[in-house]
Amino acid sequence: MTVTNATFTIERVLNASPARVFAAYGSLEAKSAWFRAPTDIETLNRDFDFRVGGRERFHARWPSGMTTDFQATYHDIVANERIILVYDMFHNGDKLSVSLLTLELRGEGGRTRLIHTEQGSYLTGGVEAVQGREHGTTWHIDNLVAVIEGREPRAFS
Amino acid sequence: MLQYQPKPLDLAFQALSDPGRRAMVERLCLGPASVSELAKPLPMTLSAVVQHLKVLEEAGLVKSQKLGRVRTCSLELKAMRQVEGWIAERKRFWEQQYDQLEAYLAQTAPEEDQ
Repeated sequence: MTVTNATFTIERVLNASPARVFAAYGSLEAKSAWFRAPTDIETLNRDFDFRVGGRERFHARWPSGMTTDFQATYHDIVANERIILVYDMFHNGDKLSVSLLTLELRGEGGRTRLIHTEQGSYLTGGVEAVQGREHGTTWHIDNLVAVIEGREPRAFS
Repeated sequence: MLQYQPKPLDLAFQALSDPGRRAMVERLCLGPASVSELAKPLPMTLSAVVQHLKVLEEAGLVKSQKLGRVRTCSLELKAMRQVEGWIAERKRFWEQQYDQLEAYLAQTAPEEDQ
């Protein structure tokens, strides 16, 4: 099993004040209204303790039978400004990643810029177990060569 | 934006810009090979092959292992691509959650926000 460290960010400008965005994270009722799976899933475990040192868990079974388990611990909470948490992600019981997630809320004239920075350790052995999809290695080479030669690579999916 | 440490994709692309190294990678697509097996069809010396291998290893494309007197090389690319795919998926997951957050905020907006 190999570990790869990677960082990504997501930025969104939300049409609401930082206080309202923060409130959407602050209670189970508010968070459940948006932090959810898009399809019908069965909730196996749901814990929510929004305070520094508190834990959140969202363990669910999808229609395909796959289970996902989000297990987080809150490390820093500043009302209307930021939330820092560390979360583990499991698929079918395999740990896929351990991530440090920093959410910053910046007021911009009545709106809020949400900055999601995620620094993760991705455990590829777990990815293999989960995705179970075997692409031919030649396919990857074709793509890399396409990029080098200035042709359009097939998107990663 | 994705940032890979310590092996950025740039390094991989650079390593593959050489036709000799590309031929070696193409050979490794078929399965692991020893250094001399890699060198055999190529119009270059064994030491040149070793140098090229070093570049491919540094780019994270190839790994090699010495068993007794034989060094066996294999592709490492699969792990890299899978990580990339997984991160793209993770990003999609959060983007989806934020779409739902936006919808929730719109639904619950107080009158004066409209």
